Amino acid sequence: MPPIIDENKCLACGVCADICPQDVFFGSENGKAPVISYPEECWHCNACVSDCPVQGAIRLRIPFPMLICYR
Amino acid sequence: MTQKSMAEEMIEADVLCVGGGIAGLMAAIRAGELGASVIVADKANTLRSGSGGMGNDHFRCYLPEFHGPNIEPVIQDVKAGDAGTRPDSFIRTWMEKSSEIVKLWDSLGIPMKYNGDWEFAGHTFPGGIFSWLKYAGQNQKGVLTKEARRRGANIVNRVMVYDLLCDDEGRVIGAIGVHTRENRIITFLAKSVVLSTGRPVRLYPSTTPGWMFNRADSPHTTGDGRAMAYRAGADLIDMEIPMRWAGPKYFARCGKATWVGVLRDAKDQAVGPFVQRPDRRYGDAIADTYRTLFEDYIRSGKGPVYMDGRGISNDDYEYMMYWMAHEGNMGIFNHLKEQGIDYKEHPVEFTTYEIMTMGGIHYNEKGETSLKGLYAAGDEYRGNISCAAIFGWVAGENAAAYSRTGETAKSERIAAQIREKKELVERILAREKGATWQEANIALQQTMFDYAGTARFESILSAGYDHLKRVKKKAHEELAAKNQHELVHCLEVLNLMDLGELVFAGTLERKETREKYSRIDYPYRNPMLDGKRLVYKKGEGGPIVAWRQKKQ
Repeated sequence: MPPIIDENKCLACGVCADICPQDVFFGSENGKAPVISYPEECWHCNACVSDCPVQGAIRLRIPFPMLICYR
Repeated sequence: MTQKSMAEEMIEADVLCVGGGIAGLMAAIRAGELGASVIVADKANTLRSGSGGMGNDHFRCYLPEFHGPNIEPVIQDVKAGDAGTRPDSFIRTWMEKSSEIVKLWDSLGIPMKYNGDWEFAGHTFPGGIFSWLKYAGQNQKGVLTKEARRRGANIVNRVMVYDLLCDDEGRVIGAIGVHTRENRIITFLAKSVVLSTGRPVRLYPSTTPGWMFNRADSPHTTGDGRAMAYRAGADLIDMEIPMRWAGPKYFARCGKATWVGVLRDAKDQAVGPFVQRPDRRYGDAIADTYRTLFEDYIRSGKGPVYMDGRGISNDDYEYMMYWMAHEGNMGIFNHLKEQGIDYKEHPVEFTTYEIMTMGGIHYNEKGETSLKGLYAAGDEYRGNISCAAIFGWVAGENAAAYSRTGETAKSERIAAQIREKKELVERILAREKGATWQEANIALQQTMFDYAGTARFESILSAGYDHLKRVKKKAHEELAAKNQHELVHCLEVLNLMDLGELVFAGTLERKETREKYSRIDYPYRNPMLDGKRLVYKKGEGGPIVAWRQKKQ
């Protein structure tokens, strides 16, 4: 369930927790890698990925029910 | 039962903007520019909150440099697409101010030109008028946040305002909110309030059963403004009229006009008459005029329907991807990339999303509501980004002017209201055990879907209305929250329940079928209702709905 944080890359800057519209990072503490308290409330808007200062430190995993249908 | 004591805070200003989306920030910028002291209270963070949080790429407008000196054809085009919901004066104000706002945004650092020129595309029918300006809105919220601060606005993030404060004459004089992370209640005393909190997104079930957050619009917008305006005595309108969006399946998301492709059925036949091959100027506007197409095609055995980008030129593909990033749709395209799905080779299925209500707060071309001191803008009623930007600006201007004449709140009257509204929150937090917000939200959604969904008739509506009232009563008695995050969701659900009641009350009253509205037991238009609309107001025993002549 999204988002997924790579703790080796995360700077613990708090940007993602600061801006997340759904506040899935509720309960995160300053100076520590964010916790994902409410993954099921993620809208997959990509704000955390887009505003993270480190490429690859955070990514979204799209859950099965949202897989795109195509042919 | 343990009582968790809440910290209290009081903030004063001339103008309080509730919701810091496009409309709220524009109101703050304008009011601040005019010298008013301004607060913006946002449930999330104005940098990314609201329906325009991750961007937008199309801004409806009239630009003399592009359209020529005559504004009338553009006004007529907007009016035709509006289906008579807005009076002429509103549409005229909107288009007349649009050029100024486009240039303001460009000067602030939201690029409104493409390759140095005005670029109009999408949501357009071949042979029709181009009125949607392509613009690079990916960082629009950051730009507008910075500008609001530069003009003196105090932006208070992570506070959910949940009720308005009124004086004895019914004038709005402030609001009350809870912090979404800390155990704190905040009272705002303001001479005027601008509501711009967005759509009631979690009223009906989502496209994915059991999954409340897979939505075309951001699920943190829950119609809070509509609900608090209604409870304060303001007029709401059109709550019975359903609205549907359409877009990719199953990754629900607005932005279909940014897709360059042709909507085709499973046998590769175009489902609309407007485009036969991918064309970046138009997209495929059949889904604008016929949003239930995808649902109807499944029901009639002709689906699924796909957005088919096969045959798209590399240039057009790059063009589409550039705008997708600005429309805020990179979540979808990153997903396609990760799955190895190339849109140039694989048509993507589209679907009609869940029902929502078109209705909301009745506000005029000055941003005024029916209550003194209360203004509204943006998605407090149906609209789009340019509507939000322009009427946010207008509402901010008029709220600032009103504030210059407004009086400071009387303290004894306020104290009683604050106490009463605070008790609601304290009761929810004090319950050690009780119903979760999810339980209440799902109960509401299934009731809306089953009893005020696509099959609407007297007996089902009456049964559903009764059931919803019982569910709402239980929610007020039993909702419990373990923390501030859950508390916010509880308050959202109570807001949505109030709005759900309005949908039932209005649908029972409108005994006819017209355009997107249908009643199985009245399958015909009632000409006596031409030119009329339903107005909703809070009464002693529940909502009062009444017919009123529409302003032309």
